Amino acid sequence: MKSREQEYKEIFIAEALEYFDGLNRHISTLEKEPDNDETLAEIFRLLHNLKANSKAIGYLQISDVSHKLETAFSLIRNKELNFSDEVVKVLFDGIDLLGELIHNVDNPNYGEPDPVLLRNLDIIVENLSDSTIELTKVQKYNTSKNLALSDLIYIQIRKLDHMMNLVGELMIDRDRVLSISRELNHDELKSVSSHLYRITEDLQYSVMDARLVNIGSLFNKFPRIVRDVASAEGKDVNLVLTGQDIQIDRNILQIMADSLLHLVRNAITHGLEKPEERLAKSKGSTGHLKLTAQSDRENVLIRLEDDGRGIDLRQVKRSAIEKQLISAEAAKSMADNEVLSLLFEPGFSTAKEVTEYSGRGVGLDVVKNAIDSIGGRINVHTEKGIGTTFTLQLPSSIAVKGALLFEVGNIYFAIPLIHTDQVVALDKDELHEVGGVLIADLKGETVTVVYLSELLNTPEAEMDLGDKSRLNGQVQNIIIVSYNNRKLGLIVDKLYRQQDIVVKPLSKPLDQIDIYGGVTLLGTGKVCLVLDVPAITRYFIQKKQG
Amino acid sequence: MKRILIVDDSFYMRTMLKNMLSDAGYEIVGEAPNGQTALELAKETKPDLITLDVILPDNTGLEVLKGIRAEQPDQKVVIVSAVGQEVIVNEALENGAKSYIVKPFSEEKVLEVVSQVLAEEPKQ
Repeated sequence: MKSREQEYKEIFIAEALEYFDGLNRHISTLEKEPDNDETLAEIFRLLHNLKANSKAIGYLQISDVSHKLETAFSLIRNKELNFSDEVVKVLFDGIDLLGELIHNVDNPNYGEPDPVLLRNLDIIVENLSDSTIELTKVQKYNTSKNLALSDLIYIQIRKLDHMMNLVGELMIDRDRVLSISRELNHDELKSVSSHLYRITEDLQYSVMDARLVNIGSLFNKFPRIVRDVASAEGKDVNLVLTGQDIQIDRNILQIMADSLLHLVRNAITHGLEKPEERLAKSKGSTGHLKLTAQSDRENVLIRLEDDGRGIDLRQVKRSAIEKQLISAEAAKSMADNEVLSLLFEPGFSTAKEVTEYSGRGVGLDVVKNAIDSIGGRINVHTEKGIGTTFTLQLPSSIAVKGALLFEVGNIYFAIPLIHTDQVVALDKDELHEVGGVLIADLKGETVTVVYLSELLNTPEAEMDLGDKSRLNGQVQNIIIVSYNNRKLGLIVDKLYRQQDIVVKPLSKPLDQIDIYGGVTLLGTGKVCLVLDVPAITRYFIQKKQG
Repeated sequence: MKRILIVDDSFYMRTMLKNMLSDAGYEIVGEAPNGQTALELAKETKPDLITLDVILPDNTGLEVLKGIRAEQPDQKVVIVSAVGQEVIVNEALENGAKSYIVKPFSEEKVLEVVSQVLAEEPKQ
């Protein structure tokens, strides 16, 4: 029900602002041509609609002011009121007030309209005789009103981007200063740098906070889109939105907007069945679509659930074999989650027919690329006949990431926490050499494990990813990362700690190496490479096969 | 399924009426934001019922009502008006409108009037 109310409200506001612009235009015309009946009729119509609509939706202040203005204009039409300078000013003020009220329907801090202005409208509407004398008060009110500036400012997002970059630089220097103060063991420097640490942290969160927008700003566009797609597809769809007030970085939401649109269209076109088909399965003719946002520590989860036909895994396999993404042989032994990950391969699409809304030749790989680009994750869960759920795990900020620091071959590395599932220590004997790679059994789940030092540092000709004897020591520290429904264990030499890091892009020519998502500077001044989990997963698969 | 044409210059009002009526199982055959479109759609779709707003940007609702009834004498029309337009409503009823709904309207009121008018036997 909420989505329809929201839709009504959006339509109301959009139309009310249109009427407001129209009123401003027409009253300016009327001021020059007071006898223009057509213009007067148009003003009537606009005020009349605004009155009726605002009354219907329950914005009584707007309907009250519209009503007063309507009455004033009818007096003018009946020549009971002169369209004199004083009157014109009050009418202009009244129309301005309408604009103010429309703009503030969502603002809980908006108080009451100025009583002087309301009184002036009443004077015009009810008390004709000595109106001119009383109305002079209006101008005084007007002058003071115009000097009051809004509490809200608009700011270009690139200015906030620049601030965020500067904060990032500051954080790196802050960590460096803190580290030096400890090395020197200088008390005063230590105290100053720990103060600097707190201030910078506050600053970081303030700037991040300034960039947050409500997810509702995107979600609320969907009721209309769902309606249009559903009606074009001949389907009955009920959309439920929750978590619209969850906040997320504006740029992340912008990057995700098209992907979410794509998933929603897909869900209606390919996921949800036509009413007849649903009734035949005794599911109820209306399909359900649920779009949910929720906070999960540092991240934001967006979930899209449908109760449609689910994804046919056998069809996915057949399609992947046809498109030569996998061999028929490999398909036989694939686990369900591996099959689902095929959906996100470039060029994969199970859609048999092209439709106006969903068949644009854009596959889920584009969605995945968008999510990868901001360091997020996507998961899909499906049950045949029951429905499909896509879960998007998005960072709430782009620039600063929680990361896990570790060392491989005397070099510092970091992996964003969003991609790490867990960290385990396993005895070398618990790793098994199977088919040219190492395998570990984690609580019943088989996970491929790769020795990072071997993958990153050994020349290709000598590389052997399935040779246990190359491991150092008996106990292995393994970071389990997860990407595209696949888990991979990364064996590291030394594990350090979790830390917020500011990821800087690599400069040329290193930016060509895509297994590194960027670089960060540690407090000690040491350079730390940030591993890109999607890229390292692809790199591993390529090395394993080649 | 009974077929309804909605005539109203406000998108908001049309959306509300459309949702209320289609939720109740009526088919909305068209929406007209002005008198000209209303006359064209009435002729083209021959709906079971037309909801007609009395203030439109080009013609008055009364002119539209007369225009429709001249072409389709049995066409059922329900007037949608605001408080304070009783004079126009009375004139519309004299000119063949079947009933009226006053804005702001409740869903119950709209459905009650519409189903009543649709249930009436056409005049012989």
